[in-house]
Amino acid sequence: MSRGGAVPVERLEILWYVIAAAGLVLGLRLAQMQLVQAAEWRQAAERNRSQMIHQNAPRGRIYDRHGVPVATNAPAFSLIFLPGKDRRRQDLHPLAEELGRQLSRDPEELLEKLEQAVREESAVRLAENLPAQTMFRLSELKTIYPGVDLVVEARRWYPFGRFASHLLGYMGKMSSREWRERKPKGYRVDSRIGRIGLERIFEDELRGRDGGLRMEVDAQGRLKRVIDKIPFEAGSNVHLTIDAAVQRAADEGLRASVTGRGAAVAIDPRNGDLLAMSSQPDFDPNAFLSTDPNEVKSTISDLSEFNNAISGAYPPGSTFKPIAGLAAFQDGRVNPEEHVYCPGHYDLGPRTFLCDEKKGHGRLSWYLGLAKSCNVYFYTLGLKTGAASIERYARAFGLGAKTNIPMRGEKGGHLFGPETRKKAGKSWYDGDTLNLSIGQGELTVTPLQMAIVAAALSNRGSVWRPRYIQKIVYTDGRPDAVKPSERLGLVTAKEEAWNLVQRALEVTVSSGTGASARVPGILVAGKTGTAQNPHGEDHAWFITYAARPGEPASIAVAVLVENGGHGAAAAAPVAKRMIMAHFGIADPAAAKPAPPPAPVPALTPAPLLPAGRRP
Amino acid sequence: MTMVRAVRAQSGLSGRVDWTYVAAVAGLVIAGSLAMLSAASTTPMYSAILQKHFIALTLGITLFTLTLAFNYQVFQDQSKFVYATAIVIVAATLILGKISRGQRSWVHLFGFSFQPAEMARTLVVLALADFLDRRARRIGDLSTLLTGLAICAPVMALVLKQPDFSTFLTFVPAIFGMMFAAGIDMFQLVAVFGFGGLTISVPLIYTVCQIRWPDAAAHSLPGMILATSRMGFATVAAILLFCALGLLAWRVSSWMRVQVKPAAFAAIPILLSAALLAGIVVHKHLKGYQRNRFVAWIAPQSDVQGAAYNVIQSQIALGSGGMWGKGLFSGTQSQLGFLPERHTDFVFANLGEEMGFWGTSLILGLYMIVLWRIVSAARLARDRYGYLVCAGLASTLAFQLVLNVGMCVGLMPVAGVPLPLVSYGGSSLLVTLWTLGIVANIYARRYALL
Repeated sequence: MSRGGAVPVERLEILWYVIAAAGLVLGLRLAQMQLVQAAEWRQAAERNRSQMIHQNAPRGRIYDRHGVPVATNAPAFSLIFLPGKDRRRQDLHPLAEELGRQLSRDPEELLEKLEQAVREESAVRLAENLPAQTMFRLSELKTIYPGVDLVVEARRWYPFGRFASHLLGYMGKMSSREWRERKPKGYRVDSRIGRIGLERIFEDELRGRDGGLRMEVDAQGRLKRVIDKIPFEAGSNVHLTIDAAVQRAADEGLRASVTGRGAAVAIDPRNGDLLAMSSQPDFDPNAFLSTDPNEVKSTISDLSEFNNAISGAYPPGSTFKPIAGLAAFQDGRVNPEEHVYCPGHYDLGPRTFLCDEKKGHGRLSWYLGLAKSCNVYFYTLGLKTGAASIERYARAFGLGAKTNIPMRGEKGGHLFGPETRKKAGKSWYDGDTLNLSIGQGELTVTPLQMAIVAAALSNRGSVWRPRYIQKIVYTDGRPDAVKPSERLGLVTAKEEAWNLVQRALEVTVSSGTGASARVPGILVAGKTGTAQNPHGEDHAWFITYAARPGEPASIAVAVLVENGGHGAAAAAPVAKRMIMAHFGIADPAAAKPAPPPAPVPALTPAPLLPAGRRP
Repeated sequence: MTMVRAVRAQSGLSGRVDWTYVAAVAGLVIAGSLAMLSAASTTPMYSAILQKHFIALTLGITLFTLTLAFNYQVFQDQSKFVYATAIVIVAATLILGKISRGQRSWVHLFGFSFQPAEMARTLVVLALADFLDRRARRIGDLSTLLTGLAICAPVMALVLKQPDFSTFLTFVPAIFGMMFAAGIDMFQLVAVFGFGGLTISVPLIYTVCQIRWPDAAAHSLPGMILATSRMGFATVAAILLFCALGLLAWRVSSWMRVQVKPAAFAAIPILLSAALLAGIVVHKHLKGYQRNRFVAWIAPQSDVQGAAYNVIQSQIALGSGGMWGKGLFSGTQSQLGFLPERHTDFVFANLGEEMGFWGTSLILGLYMIVLWRIVSAARLARDRYGYLVCAGLASTLAFQLVLNVGMCVGLMPVAGVPLPLVSYGGSSLLVTLWTLGIVANIYARRYALL
C-alpha cells in the first residue's frame, strides 16, 4: 500500500455480495420467464406474428324449380387493413386521407375504422366488392402503406337483379346488438346477414362456415407468408318451387302496370307449389352490396320491405263473387237459370246499393251475372243464400286466416259475417249481406289468399298451404330436407255447383270482363275485381287459373294492382303474362334471362410478396 | 513493433495474467458478437454494422493487449493529464459533436464516429481513484467526500448537458462504489447519495401518482402529494412535516435511550426538504421521453406514446425463447421487427429469444465470472489505487448489467444503457475492452516486485 492505512477489504466483500445478489435476482427472473412462463410468452409471440384473415364462405345458392340459380356468388375484391404492432410508427392520417380519395369516402369514417383495427389488433375490411379499376390503383398503395392488402372473396350475387326481391331478401350489415347476439355463432363484426325473405329465414342453412388464412405479419403489418389455411365450407343450397320465368313475368308485368304497385302470386293448384310471388315496389338486392356508398344509401332509404303479397290486406271486391256463387248453388237456394233485372242500383229500405254499371245490365242470369260482374245480381243471390252460408264458404277457402306460409309478416286479412258479428256481440243487417256478396265491407284478403282461392276453385276444393321450398341440399352430408305438400282443408260442394262456378269463370275470360287474359290454345278461367278503396283509387284485382285443354289446371294466379282501377285493364294483363310464361308461350315483351355469373375462383388473399426488400 | 517489444520486456508477465478472466471476456465478446449480428441481420445497414463491429473489435483487442503491456500506475502518475483529457473530450463533444436523436454525444473523427462519454467515465474513475488514494488518511472527513464529488461534477455536468442522461447515470455507481470501497464514512455517504436518490425519486413518485390515480381528488393522499409539486403552501407544509418527523425521531430515541448523534436528527428534515425541493426542480425539467420511460416501467399496459411497447415486446421475445431458443437468425420477435433496438439496447432480449435460457444464462454467467475476477483483482491489487480502480469498474459494469438486463426482463425502467460487449456500438466496445485491459493489468501486476 503506497499511502494510508489498510484497505477496507470488508467493504469490497459487501460490494461483491451486492453484485452477486443482483446477478442471482436476474438469473432467477430469467429462469422464471424462460422456463416457467415460457408457454405464455410463446403464445404472446405467436399472437404477435400471426394475423387471421377471414374468408367469407360462399353462401348457399338458391335455385328455381328448374335449377336456374336465382341467388349465387361472384368473386369480389375487398380491401383489408392489418394493423402493425409497432403503433408509434403508424400514422393513420395520411392513409385515411389517401383511401378516402381513392374510394370517395369520408376520411374521418375510415380513420375511425383504422383506429379500431389498431385498438383491437385485428384485421378490418375497409371496402368490399371493389371494381377492377379501383383495385389496380389500390394495389399500388400496398407498397406505400404497410398493412393494406387486397383479398378475393365470394360475394352474394343475384343474377336477375330486381327479381322476387321480397321473397329472396337481401344481405345487410348487422347492428351492434345483432352482432353481440350472433358472435357465439361465429359471426364477425363485418359479416353480413340475410335480411327479410329467404336470406333471413334460411340464414343458418345458407351461411356455411367461414374459413381463413393465418398469415405471418411483420411489425408494420405487412403480410409475409401463409402459415396455415382453414378451408371454408360453402353453405347449403336451397331449391325453390318458384319458376323463374313466371316470376320474371310477374315482376315485369307489375312494374309495367298502371301504378307499378301491387302484388302477384302464382300457385300450382295440383300441389300448392308457389310458382311466383312478386311485390312491387321492389328493390335490387345487388345494390346493397354495391361499392358505391351512395347507391347503398339511396337503396336503403327507398327500401320497401313490405311484402304486399302476404302483408297487404285489401278488400277482394268482385273476385269474391265465385265464392258467393258456390255457396248459393250448394244450398240450392238459387236457380242459375233464373233472371235478375239490374237497373244499375239496388234499394234496400232507405239505402241504395249501386252496380258498377250505372245504366244497369238489364236482365241477366248466373253466367252473365258473373261474367259481367253485376252487383245487383249478387245482391239478390246473397240475400237468397244468406250471409251465414257465404261466410262459412269463405272460411273454408281460407279467408280470414293466415296460411302460415313460412315467411315473416303474413297477415290473415279479415273475414266478416253473421257468425263473426255474433262473437263480437254485434248485430248483422241485410246491408252487410249485400256488401259481403260482392266482397266489400269489412272483408279484406291478401293476394296470397286469393291465389289459394283461385287454385281451390280450379281443383274443386283443395286448399293448399303454399309451399315454396322444394328441398334443401345440405353440404355437410345431412340428407336433403324435402318439404312435402300440405293440404290445409277441403271445400266440399256438389259437382253441379263446381261446374256452374268454373263454367262461369271460363265465360268471364272468353267473353266477359276477363277477356284481356285470354291466351290462345290455353283454357283460362278467371274473375276480375275492382275493389272500392276508401283511401283513393280502386284496387284492381284478377284471379285466374289456366290449363292445357284436357288437363287439370297447372297454374292459379292472383294479381293485385294497388289503385289500378279496373281489374280487367290493370291486373288481367299481368296474369296473362304469367300464364304465358308458365306454358312457355313466347311473349315478345319478355327479355332474355340474365347470363349466369362467373364461377367463384379458389379464394386466396393476395399478400404483397415481396413486401419491401426481402422475399 | 513497439507493442511487441513492450510485451516481451514484461517476460514472466504472461504467467501472472488472469487467464480465467481473459477467457471469460473473450467468451463474452464472441457470444455477444454472435447475438448482436443475428439481431442486426434484418437491419438495412447490416454490412456497415458488420464492418464497423469488426474494426472496433480488432482495435479493442489491440487496446486490451496494449493496456496490459505497460504498468497501470502510469495513470496515477499522470493523473492530472487523465483528468484533463476527460474534461477536454466531453467539452469537445459539446462543441464538435453532431446532433443525433436530440443528443450532441457523437464526435466524427477520420471517418469514424465516437461517443466520448463512456471513455470519460473510465478516466474519471482513474482520476477519482488517485484522489481517494491520496486522501487515505483523511478518508473520514466530509471534505474528502465533497471534493471527490467536486472532481467528478464538471465531467458529469458536461455529459448531462449533451444531454446523455443514460451515461450520466452510469457515473453514479462508479463514484459510489469507489467511495464506498475507499472507506468513506457511511453516514456521510448515505446522506449525500440518499439526497441524490431522493431527488431522483421525487419526480418518480409524482409520475406514479399521476398514472395510478389520474383522477385523484385534491384531498386524497395522491392529490396532496401532487400538490407539493406546485411549490406553494403544500410544499411548505411538507417541509414542516419533515421537521416534525425529525423532532419526533429525536424524542423517541432519547426516550428509548438510544445513543445517536443529535446531528443525525437535524439531518433528517434538512435532507428530506432539500431532496424535495431539488426533486421538484428536476420534475419540472424532466423531458417528455424520460417521463414516458418511467411510465412504461411502472405501468406497461397504460402505453403512453408507445413507450411501453418496447418493454412488452422485449419480455415477449425473452420469454418465448424458452429453454433452447428459436435458433439464431430465426426469432420471430426480432426478425419480423416487433422487438425494437434489437441489436443495441435490447440485444439481450433478442439473445433470449434466439438462444433461450441456455444463451441468457451463459452470458449472465460469463458476466458474473468477469465481475468476480475484477473483485478478486481489487482484493489482490498491489496498491490502494489499483484496488479503488477495480472497485469502481466492477460497480460500473455490474450497474450496466443490472440496468440493461433488468430492463429487458421488465424489472428496471428503460434507461437506454447498452450491455457492454454485447450491444452494438463501436466506441462502447472499444472503451469497455480498454477498461477491462486496465483491470487485467492491475491483476497481472499484483506483486509489487514487477
